[in-house]
Amino acid sequence: MLEVKNVQKSFGANQVLKGVDLKVEKGDIIVILGPSGSGKTTFLRCLNFLERADQGSMDFEDIHTELKSASKATVNKVRKKTAFVFQNYNLFQNKTALENVMEGLVIARKVPKKEAEEIAKKALDKVGLSDRYDYYPSQLSGGQQQRVGIARAIAVNPEVLLFDEPTSALDPELIGEVLAVMKKLAEEGATMIVVTHEMSFAQEVATKVIFMDGGVVVEEGSAEDIFTHPKEERTSQFLHRVLRDYDYVI
Amino acid sequence: MRLDTEFMWETFLDVLHGVPVTLKLTIITLLVSAPIAFFMALSRSGEGRIGRRIITAYVSFIRGTPVVLQILFLYSLLPTALNYLIKVLLGLDFNIFNINPIVYAYTVFILNTMAVLSEVFRSALSTVNHGQMEAALSIGLTKRQAYLRIIIPQALTAALPNICNTAVSLLKSTSLAFMMTVKDITAIAKIDASFGYNYLEAYLVIFFVYILLCTLVQLVFHVLERNVASYKKLITA
Amino acid sequence: MRPFHPLFIFEVLPQLVPYLLVTAGIVIGTVFFGGLLGLVLATAKIRRGKIGTALANIYIYVTRCVPSIVLLFIVYYGLPEFLLMFGIDINNAGKGFFVITTFSILFAANMSEVFRSSYEAVDRGQREAAVSIGLTEFQAFRRIVLPQCIRVAIPNFTNTLISLMKEGSLAYTIGLIDIMGKGQLIIGQNQGSYSLEVYLALFILYWILTIMIEKGFGAIERNLSKGKKLVASI
Repeated sequence: MLEVKNVQKSFGANQVLKGVDLKVEKGDIIVILGPSGSGKTTFLRCLNFLERADQGSMDFEDIHTELKSASKATVNKVRKKTAFVFQNYNLFQNKTALENVMEGLVIARKVPKKEAEEIAKKALDKVGLSDRYDYYPSQLSGGQQQRVGIARAIAVNPEVLLFDEPTSALDPELIGEVLAVMKKLAEEGATMIVVTHEMSFAQEVATKVIFMDGGVVVEEGSAEDIFTHPKEERTSQFLHRVLRDYDYVI
Repeated sequence: MRLDTEFMWETFLDVLHGVPVTLKLTIITLLVSAPIAFFMALSRSGEGRIGRRIITAYVSFIRGTPVVLQILFLYSLLPTALNYLIKVLLGLDFNIFNINPIVYAYTVFILNTMAVLSEVFRSALSTVNHGQMEAALSIGLTKRQAYLRIIIPQALTAALPNICNTAVSLLKSTSLAFMMTVKDITAIAKIDASFGYNYLEAYLVIFFVYILLCTLVQLVFHVLERNVASYKKLITA
Repeated sequence: MRPFHPLFIFEVLPQLVPYLLVTAGIVIGTVFFGGLLGLVLATAKIRRGKIGTALANIYIYVTRCVPSIVLLFIVYYGLPEFLLMFGIDINNAGKGFFVITTFSILFAANMSEVFRSSYEAVDRGQREAAVSIGLTEFQAFRRIVLPQCIRVAIPNFTNTLISLMKEGSLAYTIGLIDIMGKGQLIIGQNQGSYSLEVYLALFILYWILTIMIEKGFGAIERNLSKGKKLVASI
């Protein structure tokens, strides 16, 4: 349902993406792994046009566009089919949890307020925050803020959910609650692209794991393929190093 | 539009005689106000409730009213009031009207600046972490020592940029001293201009003189900041 | 020493009050035109173009160094002649024109700092989050970024407004009749004998105005900072 080809992006002289392809089917849980600076976050941001790619094309259901020259209308269309969960949550500081979730519904999608409120409450219930509707971001813990971020993303009922290192700004003891929510979404059949360092999440949930390094996809396959018998030397090196450092259990 | 450049040059030379007056007004005012302001800041965070109220009201009043009004008021009050005090109440034979008007200027600017600076010091003191005082007391320093050795040096560093701002606006305020017949640079320019109605030229001259003086003040504070804040630099070095 | 008549203060006050409109007009006019100029300066600095930033910095530096009264006289005596070179005759312009021009030039720097600091205080991620859920750029700015900018800007803006109002009192020196000018007229009519009473009445008016501005904008800020204020209470 979503396919991008040959995504390239440079920041000044530094080429961060050197032609990345990705194909996503409905219900896929794609986990992108890779060392920092490998371009995985930039790639994700290009999918939502938060960064403008220098080259590459996108097929997204009825949309067909070049990434570089996509019109405003197309960008908005893509953004309405996707939702983004940020590393540092980016909750609207001037709005309550409920208002944060309602914003995209009422303003971008013109859902009537009452209906939006119901949807928003359901989304917040789903991430376990039914008692925090009227709290402002500054009153919530990091884990709670990120769960509001996820609620805000799922409320707009997107075709694809994009997660950009959703747990890396969190204290270790708060990571579990966010991963649990993500796991639940996966089980319910959401389509997700997740950039993360949480290996356990990748192992348990991913339908496809992509390993990126130096702006290219080094290797991709099922979680089992990648984790138990990686083909590429770079992949196994990375996994070796990372699996030692990160070991959280959901 | 033609500017009388010869007049401007002459005015410039004349105005230079006023530079010491302007600088003296600025510097002495700052030096006298600073210690008073510091104690005002301390007592505002201290216990005495009545004292705190009075100081708060005073600061609010000074900061809530125009300097020019403060000047006009004190300049019409002080000479007659002092005269009354000395002649009638004390029975002394001293002509108050012989006092150099710069004394009134100092009075007004000090009364004003100490209020402004007390706010600067208050916010600077609040930036110093509470733990600093506790740590100082815990190693056996007295409260006085803690202030002198630990709190004030840190607060001063935090306050310097704002003290610089205060100095710059004080320098600008001294341009109103001519209202008290003090011969500062503005007064001299005004007198020169009035002979031949060359107001524009005269004010353009002091426009540049003020920029020079303002630059001087900022340079001084720049040097001060470097010296006082040397403990901060070591962290990054 | 001549007698002091405290009651005269209350006789003067009602005579001064109508001229608050002139004082307010000067402040509002300056906020508008100075704000426009400040917006240009702030944009130049935010864009980080080398020349634009340098010019804006020079402008801000110079205006910060010049006493209001000096610029007021330069504008009052110089601007008509200067504009006459371009065939524009403003010799009949009202005093208010010169006052607003002067203070717009001076306070543009303050206004630009109000704009710039508030713009830069709002995290870039706020805009990204807004567009990521499908808001247009304009909606993201108006609904998410701008309200936060305004909240951040209020304390700076309040200070600017108060110092503008106080500096504006110098306008009487070129003959503008605001509350200060009216006060001077009253003193003149009485051959200077009620100066203390008039000045005290003016003190009262200015002080009340300052407190009203502080309290008013403080209330607005508290209203807007719903998202921030409870931080300490958790």
